[in-house]
Amino acid sequence: MDIRRHRLENGLRVAVVPIPGLLSAAVLLAIEAGQWFEPAGRPGIGRLTAQVMLRGTTTRDAKTWADALDGIGAAARLDVGSHAATFSAQSLGSDLDVLLELMADAVVRPAFADKQVELVREQTVAQIEEDAKNTRAVAESAWRKLVYLKGHPFRARPIGDLEVVRGAKADDLREHHRRAIRPDGAVLVVAGGVEAKQVFDAAEKAFSSWRAGGPHEESKVPDARLTTAVRKLEVVPDKTQSDVVLGWPGLPRTDPRFIAARVTNMVFAADTFASRAGHVVRDELGLAYYVFSTLGGSRGQSPWVVRMGVNPINVDRAVSTTLEELRKIVDGKVSQDDLDLAQDKLVGELDVARESPAGVASLLLEGEVFELGDDYAERYPRELRAVTLGQVVEIARAFLPPDRHALAIAGPPLPDRD
Amino acid sequence: MHALEARHAPVVSLWVWYQVGGRNEVPGTTGMSHFLEHMLFKGTPRHPKGDLDKLLARYGALWNAFTSEDVTCYFETVPAERYPVALDLEADRMRNALITVEETEAERNVIVSEREGLENDPSFLLGEQLQAVAFARHPYAQGVIGSKEEIKLMTRDGLYAHYRRHYAPNNAYFIVAGDAPAEELLDRAASAFGPLEAEVPIESPKAPEPPQYGEKRVIVRRAGGALPIIQIGHKAPRASDPRAPALSALAVALGGATAGGGEAASGRSSRLYRALVDTGLATTVDASFNLMKDPYLFIAEAHMRPGVTHDRVERVILDELDQVARAALSDEEFGRVRRQMLSASAFMTDTITWRAFRFGQLLGTGAAASLGEWYDRLAAVTAEDVRAAAESVFREKGRVVGWFVPESS
Repeated sequence: MDIRRHRLENGLRVAVVPIPGLLSAAVLLAIEAGQWFEPAGRPGIGRLTAQVMLRGTTTRDAKTWADALDGIGAAARLDVGSHAATFSAQSLGSDLDVLLELMADAVVRPAFADKQVELVREQTVAQIEEDAKNTRAVAESAWRKLVYLKGHPFRARPIGDLEVVRGAKADDLREHHRRAIRPDGAVLVVAGGVEAKQVFDAAEKAFSSWRAGGPHEESKVPDARLTTAVRKLEVVPDKTQSDVVLGWPGLPRTDPRFIAARVTNMVFAADTFASRAGHVVRDELGLAYYVFSTLGGSRGQSPWVVRMGVNPINVDRAVSTTLEELRKIVDGKVSQDDLDLAQDKLVGELDVARESPAGVASLLLEGEVFELGDDYAERYPRELRAVTLGQVVEIARAFLPPDRHALAIAGPPLPDRD
Repeated sequence: MHALEARHAPVVSLWVWYQVGGRNEVPGTTGMSHFLEHMLFKGTPRHPKGDLDKLLARYGALWNAFTSEDVTCYFETVPAERYPVALDLEADRMRNALITVEETEAERNVIVSEREGLENDPSFLLGEQLQAVAFARHPYAQGVIGSKEEIKLMTRDGLYAHYRRHYAPNNAYFIVAGDAPAEELLDRAASAFGPLEAEVPIESPKAPEPPQYGEKRVIVRRAGGALPIIQIGHKAPRASDPRAPALSALAVALGGATAGGGEAASGRSSRLYRALVDTGLATTVDASFNLMKDPYLFIAEAHMRPGVTHDRVERVILDELDQVARAALSDEEFGRVRRQMLSASAFMTDTITWRAFRFGQLLGTGAAASLGEWYDRLAAVTAEDVRAAAESVFREKGRVVGWFVPESS
């Protein structure tokens, strides 16, 4: 990949991959303003701040800003995750300068008008109430409470706690914006039908006035640790399927073992066809429609979880089968073929992702956000290939102890226990 | 067979579109096409179950299948040098799927589980009821996945007969897009599929929907959701109708090119977003016109704020539909709609997988003979075309209204 880089004076790093022959460009602006950077004990402030940023600036009201974005036909969204607040967008390459200017307006000059704060607050409260009836959301919330202590940034989902959302004032959001929405640590990645110089010039013009609002504050977060197996069942009325989250606290993306952990995740349960648990639970035993695991990447211990959608009568069997597959890995009963398959899959996906501008931008993002080196894109496949069976076993033993897991189930009552 | 060159990445995406879906089923066997789709992943004599799964996983392939009311579709997006392997898989399973009794039983649980997962979603439950009420005779009333009871009754022999009848080269479109000359892509495909024999041609199902004489309504009451939902459908023409491009533009005018609400920043200038989300009546809105073989529905949907009444939101939506049918969009508003629609078209075709998908969708539904033709037809839509299309569709005699009413636990 032809990656060009540039750094603005304010610290914003820009990476561009021009892809000749395409009309559009994908844009990812990742700001270190995810849950990890939220004020302690105030889950939901980050997402509220981000959402109100989309509802009017000091130069354009919400309607004018929305008209301008739709006027160039761009698709855009702003999500808050465990590590970053990520503004992702796509526009025609010829409209990129307008798109970046609109994104910068929202990010740098949000108005935080009281009326808009109220609107977003009420929308968020409604969503939290709806999520209380959504089995996937309920299972995830329950799982987080089993694993992370009060005050831990990952104890709640990014949407936050009802009380925090209800009590947040416009000034709280302004303060979080000042502290966390900052160019140092932020990355702008663009891939598609654009020239690198065009992007650098447009980024300079749009973002050069962005300033950090004070020094970086490091979070001091206690370790999350499971000392035994813990389980929580949440009954949600009028549901037919149970959603299951089985998992462990993960490891920071900056941990040198992270690549080995990613390979371990693929060996274990990341994919239905390439992973042991997915293959056995769905394909061999037909116990679930979906089963997959994810390992989050952040500065902290993001969730490392297996998710399943299972009929209530099959929950215990699906969970015990998954843990059995994990035990085999922990006991070293994992074959070279399992490892080869996982590595082939992870490396092969990198090639296939190049089919779209958004795929190419995503390939770059992680290396840029965590400053993994200018040669990371080239090095990464080699590092995946270099992981050994011994490392997989070691990682599973260290991070996925089968007897010390957290299990959350949401859905109808389970037949054998309730 | 159709091929498109896409030279910006070393990737090939191939799609097989079988002309069979929910539309080809009769009561008692609904869900059969979808069940069969699952069985096509269970191996052939030459490629036992698991072999090709693992091989494609090794290539990092993006591959899957889906069933709709009109079609059943299989695709693989693979590194370009693996194109022959994916072709071999598709050609082999077009005629040689095993579909054993044992695998049918194991997969039945997975499909029941899929159905149960959908039932957890109030929006799915309401949509399924809305569709069932909207169509008195046409099989679109049946949806795609079938009821749990029908899934439990499905037999291996029934599935196999359905397979042999519908899975043949003369009942499929093959689309490939990728990093090679189109001729080369086609030559390879012809070598793979050429030796397969055709089946007896299948006649399209003939169950035209009779006229509707007044609004229909349906209410779903469940405790499984906190927010009230409203869906308003209007009978809309098929994809091959000359109004189809204008109706696509109408959906953008009402709901944006991407569904409005939540984390989405785009689509907020749309009529329904302004009337319902900006005013605090709803959390999300959507408007959709799907390209379908037979006349289907134009659907407007809103997830409402707690405490807001269905009556109120229904009146607001109907008022917006009425306004867009009475007066053409202003130049400024139409300019935004047009840019969103045409940009979305470019975004789709800049991804090799979606470029192939879109082409297959246009061909399979009869919307257009090429991506270029469809783009030109979208680009030619005028503000007056949008108004006229709205006027022809938003009529009380073609309307079906659905309410999801949350019950207390």
